[in-house]
Amino acid sequence: MMVLVVILLGLAIGVLVGLMGVGGGILLVPALVFLMHMDQHLAQGTSLFILLPPLGLGALSVYWRRRQVDLTAGILSAVGILLGADLGGRLAVHTASRDLKGIFGLFMMVAAVLLWHKPTPAQVNPAGRNDG
Amino acid sequence: MADSPLRLAAIILAGIVGGVAAGMFGVGGGILLIAFLVLVLGFEQHRAQGTSLVALVPPTGLLGFLEYSRSGYVSWRVGLLLMPGIFFGAVAGSWLAQTLKPRRMRQVFAVLLFLIGAWQAFSAWGR
Repeated sequence: MMVLVVILLGLAIGVLVGLMGVGGGILLVPALVFLMHMDQHLAQGTSLFILLPPLGLGALSVYWRRRQVDLTAGILSAVGILLGADLGGRLAVHTASRDLKGIFGLFMMVAAVLLWHKPTPAQVNPAGRNDG
Repeated sequence: MADSPLRLAAIILAGIVGGVAAGMFGVGGGILLIAFLVLVLGFEQHRAQGTSLVALVPPTGLLGFLEYSRSGYVSWRVGLLLMPGIFFGAVAGSWLAQTLKPRRMRQVFAVLLFLIGAWQAFSAWGR
């Protein structure tokens, strides 16, 4: 029964991964805490575990075929994330997990409001290019 | 457009900002990356999301993961069970994304982000 719940949870998170182009951790961490009753650290560690294999590859191929990928920007971002994640891990140690969670929630809400209010999207990159 | 050094530096900076969040909160870093690409670099929403998926292909969270793993903070069984669903669900989700116009896509993204953000903030501080 628990196995079925976890597999269905994976499917639901996967839809979000493809729909939003994110890793899925954002929903996975709270879901593991609420549904599986994991503590915050265990949920975050498990989330980082599922992010190791490229589970978004199938979704990426869909975006790729529609030429909605900036390869250069993606690779550069990956380099930055690798470095930043190390720093983030160190910072996290010095902050209460409750406050971390709350701050991250606020970040998301602010980003959401900014994105919602953004006027017509500036088409910086000409359509039909896959490389940066 | 040309890839000016400034733009390339800004992209690496976006990655670092996303990465700090990734290490702190055990997530991929895509959320902040997408917001930055759209708001600062003017990416169209679908393009920002596709680009974020590229950044998530290599195991960028490896260093963070090792820290958690050493402390015993990984549930291998639940993690492995989640993987197949996430892969196939992600393909379905990306097809769903293609049915939306760019502006509507951005709004759907913003609403989902706000709801999850509100849930996180509330569960941390709300009671």
